Amino acid sequence: MTRSFTLRTALLASVLSVFLLHTAHAASQSGNGHAVSFSAEQVAHGAQIYAGACAMCHGADLEGGHDVPDLSTYFTARWANTPIDQLAGYISRAMPLMAPGTLPPQDTAALVAFLLHQNGVVSATDAPLPMEEARLAKLRFPAPSASSAAATKP
Amino acid sequence: MKRRDLFAASLAAGIMGSTRRGWAATPDAAAALGRTALHGTIPRIVPIRAHADQIMDIKVCLRPFRPAGPRMDVEHVAGKTVVHNYGHGGSGWSLSWGAAYMAVGHAAATLERKVAVIGCGIIGLTSALTAQRAGLDVTIYTRDLLPHTRSVRANGSWTPDSRIALTQQAGPEFARTWEKMARYSWQTYRDYLGMPGNPIDFRDNYTLSDTAPDAADHVPAPADAAKGSFATTGMPQNSAEFAEYASLISDIIPAPELLAGADNPFPVAYARRTPLMIYNFGSYGHLLLEEFHQAGGRIVIREFHSPSDLADLPERVVINCPGYAARDWWNDKSLIPVRGQTSWLPPQPDASYALEYKGAAMISKSDGVMIQGYDMSGLGEMDGVGNSFEHPDRAEAEKAIAIIGDLFTRFQPRAG
Ligand SMILES: Cc1cc2nc3c(=O)[nH]c(=O)nc-3n(C[C@H](O)[C@H](O)[C@H](O)COP(=O)(O)OP(=O)(O)OC[C@H]3O[C@@H](n4cnc5c(N)ncnc54)[C@H](O)[C@@H]3O)c2cc1C
Ligand code: HEC
Repeated sequence: MTRSFTLRTALLASVLSVFLLHTAHAASQSGNGHAVSFSAEQVAHGAQIYAGACAMCHGADLEGGHDVPDLSTYFTARWANTPIDQLAGYISRAMPLMAPGTLPPQDTAALVAFLLHQNGVVSATDAPLPMEEARLAKLRFPAPSASSAAATKP
Repeated sequence: MKRRDLFAASLAAGIMGSTRRGWAATPDAAAALGRTALHGTIPRIVPIRAHADQIMDIKVCLRPFRPAGPRMDVEHVAGKTVVHNYGHGGSGWSLSWGAAYMAVGHAAATLERKVAVIGCGIIGLTSALTAQRAGLDVTIYTRDLLPHTRSVRANGSWTPDSRIALTQQAGPEFARTWEKMARYSWQTYRDYLGMPGNPIDFRDNYTLSDTAPDAADHVPAPADAAKGSFATTGMPQNSAEFAEYASLISDIIPAPELLAGADNPFPVAYARRTPLMIYNFGSYGHLLLEEFHQAGGRIVIREFHSPSDLADLPERVVINCPGYAARDWWNDKSLIPVRGQTSWLPPQPDASYALEYKGAAMISKSDGVMIQGYDMSGLGEMDGVGNSFEHPDRAEAEKAIAIIGDLFTRFQPRAG
């Protein structure tokens, strides 16, 4: 568990620094449709849930494995331009695989925020990612850009 | 196959009309078979090196189980004709060609020339090949190719009625459908026997026991009425609910033989031998993919997130083969996960046989020695039911390997 603690601390630090440094050109990252926003608290909370409930299968660095999909580079290609309610819906219905349907909506939103952040998406504002399906349906998973892909390595 | 009562069932099937009897009482059975091994023909068994430090891979998988049997109906969604072909439980490999034959029949009846197949597990791949053989133009859309699918995390042998349905929920009509699928598959597999690399092969499978076939530990546990059933709880509750159809095709499936006394090479009191069809995933998978490409098939790597995504496919007919993933992708909550795990040790081509002992199975295959603890807790068909923890359990793997390892520490190789 020391490992997840370090992960959490490191993440929180990187989340905060990203917020300080990059808010300026956030809008350009958000792809078509409405700009995606999520809060630093959501990302930190998502990181915590991820470490406890997801990392055992999807890997501490979201790298996946031979028999488990990654939630990193290939993942962004699979989900690019997909309405975000579909991703949130998938996580809340199907994950964690051994106990599907057990995540409360705020945890699901936090996990989505965490996945977006880890994949180099910069929040447009500090507003939290909404939990309501109808509002999420207006947002799309941003297509990765070459620079953001390179910038994600923790 | 119902593993737990294999002894009892095969006795009944192999010896027409006879009641279950103890081993000591079976000379008439052996005589009826007329095949006690001739002197000097008892096979030499090379011991399996079953040691946990030889593990090279642990595979975990969820069997896509539906109480009513696989979903094979036709639906109209997003402007497409969708032919479903998923939910084959623990029998997907065995039934694949027969299920594909039925699904493609629905597709062909639309008179469309182009079809999309979703998924490239064993069901998608055989559906795609069967469609090509029916003259159709096929594109596979899939997230993963065969080596990354749940299909290659199977045990890989002929088990056509393993957790395929619940008798009551599937009903008598499905028994007939099952029989057609099983026969068609069996015959198609024969076409791949004896090919280079042995994609499909046979092994002598030894079913071993320290206790007599009619001893209490071979009799399926009586149904616990207090637990209820699928009808009352929405989950299967005991082994007896699971359908058994093997006797419908006993006319074409090689029967088990009793190995009496000196014919039994193993350090156990009771042994039976049954020729078992096996699938060598590596060579068979590559061969199927080669055939698909040679016939002009195309593969598009793509993940679908919602049924409405089908709208932008150029094909108007879709054969849907997502396996367990249909639980979310097609919102089919009737799918019940049945977890299973196999461990893989280095290949032992010198020891090409299979065995089952104390709830563990071993199959020596071209791509490794497979060891699976399929029923180490005495749960029978209920083993793994409702468990979706698709993550390797090393302790479980070591326990299964120890059962096979222990057998061979007591093994006395035959002289000569
Ligand atoms: C431990 C174990 C042992 C078994 N042993 C045997 C045995 O000995 N004999 C036997 O006959 N059967 C056995 N089975 C059962 C057999 O493995 C399954 O029935 C079979 O693999 C199901 O195959 P499938 O093609 O339907 O599914 P899968 O192999 O899961 O393939 C699904 C395909 O669909 C794709 N897909 C899914 N969702 C999407 C999506 N949204 N978008 C795009 N693509 C998608 C996947 O990438 C994949 O290519 C065993 C199962 C287990 C777990
Ligand atoms: C026991 C292993 C396991 C755990 C734990 C687990 N997952 Fe998964 N996850 C999988 C598998 C396997 C798949 C692929 C499922 C399929 O194809 O049916 C998957 C798929 C996904 C996908 C879809 C990937 C894609 O590109 O389509 C997402 C997103 C996801 N998981 C997120 C999570 C989150 C978030 C958690 C923690 C709350 C989690 N998972 C926990 C095994 C796991």
